[in-house]
Amino acid sequence: MLFSVARKRRCCTKFLGTRIYPSCNLCTMECHAQLSVSTTQTLKCTSSSNVQSTPEIEKKYVHRVYDAIAPHFSATRFAKWPKVASFLSSLNSGSLVLDAGCGNGKYLGLVPSCYFIGCDISAPLINICADRGYEVVVADAVNLPYRSCFGDAVISIAVLHHLSTEERRKRAVCELIRVVKRGGLVLITVWAKEQEDKTLLNKWTPLSDKYVEEWIGPSSPRVRSLSSSKLQSIPEMEENALGEPLKDSKDMSGLKLQETPTPSCEEGSNLEMGSESGSIGQNQQEFFVPWHLPYHRAEVSGASATALANGLAKKDDKKGAVVYNRYYHVFSEGELERLVSHMSNAVIVDQFYDKSNWCIVLQKTL
Amino acid sequence: MRLLTHNMQACNIKGVTNGFPFRVEAEEVMEKQVDFNADFLRNLFPKIEWKALVEASRAMGYHELPDEADSSLLDSDDFLQKFHRALPQLHLEEGAFVCPETGRKFPTALIKCI
Repeated sequence: MLFSVARKRRCCTKFLGTRIYPSCNLCTMECHAQLSVSTTQTLKCTSSSNVQSTPEIEKKYVHRVYDAIAPHFSATRFAKWPKVASFLSSLNSGSLVLDAGCGNGKYLGLVPSCYFIGCDISAPLINICADRGYEVVVADAVNLPYRSCFGDAVISIAVLHHLSTEERRKRAVCELIRVVKRGGLVLITVWAKEQEDKTLLNKWTPLSDKYVEEWIGPSSPRVRSLSSSKLQSIPEMEENALGEPLKDSKDMSGLKLQETPTPSCEEGSNLEMGSESGSIGQNQQEFFVPWHLPYHRAEVSGASATALANGLAKKDDKKGAVVYNRYYHVFSEGELERLVSHMSNAVIVDQFYDKSNWCIVLQKTL
Repeated sequence: MRLLTHNMQACNIKGVTNGFPFRVEAEEVMEKQVDFNADFLRNLFPKIEWKALVEASRAMGYHELPDEADSSLLDSDDFLQKFHRALPQLHLEEGAFVCPETGRKFPTALIKCI
C-alpha cells in the first residue's frame, strides 16, 4: 500500500482568509498548522496506529477478495444509484469531489461540471479507473492522502460496512469530514441489516465470533454450504459490459446482490438462518457475503488458484464459479446516525433508507 | 496525473508533520486539450494552493504562472488561459511525487497501481 499511517496534517481554508483547525474530537490525528499560535483549538490526540492498522479479517475478506474479483466486479458495476447521482448533480459547478472508495470509478466524472478524484484500497480496481482516464490513487479509507479542507464534497458509497471495528468506521467518517471544506458535504451509504428482501440474509454466512478460525477454515463443518443458494439478478433491465441485456437466470451467478434489490414493503424482522449455522440472533450484524466468480474469469485472474489453495475461496462446480466471501458489518437502523453524531464539526443535513441501504448526508460546520 | 489532483494530495506516512505539497519530479509530461471554461476556472481558483501549483508546474516545465495570484487576475483572459493550460491540461505521465518532509519517492506508476 502506498499511503500508510497519517500523523499530522495542515488544515487550511484559503477562501476564508483564515485557517481553521478541524475540531473533531474523535479524530485520532493531531493538526498542527504553521500559523498563529493564538489559535487554541487542538485535537484530542490518541494513538492512531491501532485504528489505522488493517485487521486480518479485512485483509483476507475485503482487500484480497476485491483484488481477485476486480474485473468481474467492475463489469457488474454500471448502474448509477439515483440518490447518489442526484446528490452529485446538486453540487455547484466547479465543485471538487472526492469519491473515497471509488471502486471501478462508476461515479467519477458523472457530473461534467465538477472535478472528480478518487481513491480505493484495491489496486486492480484503481487500475481500471486509471485506464478510463480518471484521477485516482490507491489509498485507505482510514487514512486519506489529501490535505484537509480541500473538497466541496466527498462520497463514501458502500465502503464503511467493510470496516470491521467501530473505531475504524469512526475514523473513516472523521477522514471524510476532514477533507471537505467548511460547508462541504459528505454522503455516506452503507448496507442495512434491515434488508428489503429478508431472504437475502439466508445467503450470507454470519460470523458468530469475529475472526474465529472455524468459520473461515475450508474444512470446517460449520462453513455454510453455498451451493444451495440461488443468486438473484438485478431486477432492472440493464446492459452488461458486452451491451447485452441482462436477464434473470442462472447466468447471472456473479452479480452482486445488493445494489438494486427488489423493493419490498414487507415488515418483519425474523432472520431465519440455516441449520448449519445454528441459531443466529437478531442482533447479528457481521456477515460473509458470497461473490461468485465464474471459472472463466477466475482462470484469467490467476489469484483464484492461490485463494483456493489458501482456503480463501471455494469451488462451486454446480455454478461453475469460485466463491469468495466478503466481510460486511451491516448497519442497523440508527447506527449510522449514532456513528456520525459524535462528530463535533459536522451536522446531519439528511438521512434516509433507500434500496436496503442506510444513507446520510453531513455538512462540515467547522 | 493532473496538477489539480496534485494540488489536493498530501503525504500521510507515519511521522510526517506536513506532507503537502509533494515535490514533483517530471520525466514525461503531456498536454491534453480540455475545453476552456472560464467559469470553471474561476470557481476552482479559491480552492487552489497557489504556491504549490506554481512549483509543480515549473517542475513540469511550464513557467508561465506568476509567483503570486489573487482573484483580481481572474478578469484577465491572459491569466485564465495560462491557468487553464496548467491546471486541467498538463499531465504528469511519468515521474515521481516526493514527500516534502521525508524525501520518500512515489513513482507515478506506483501512485496509480502497486
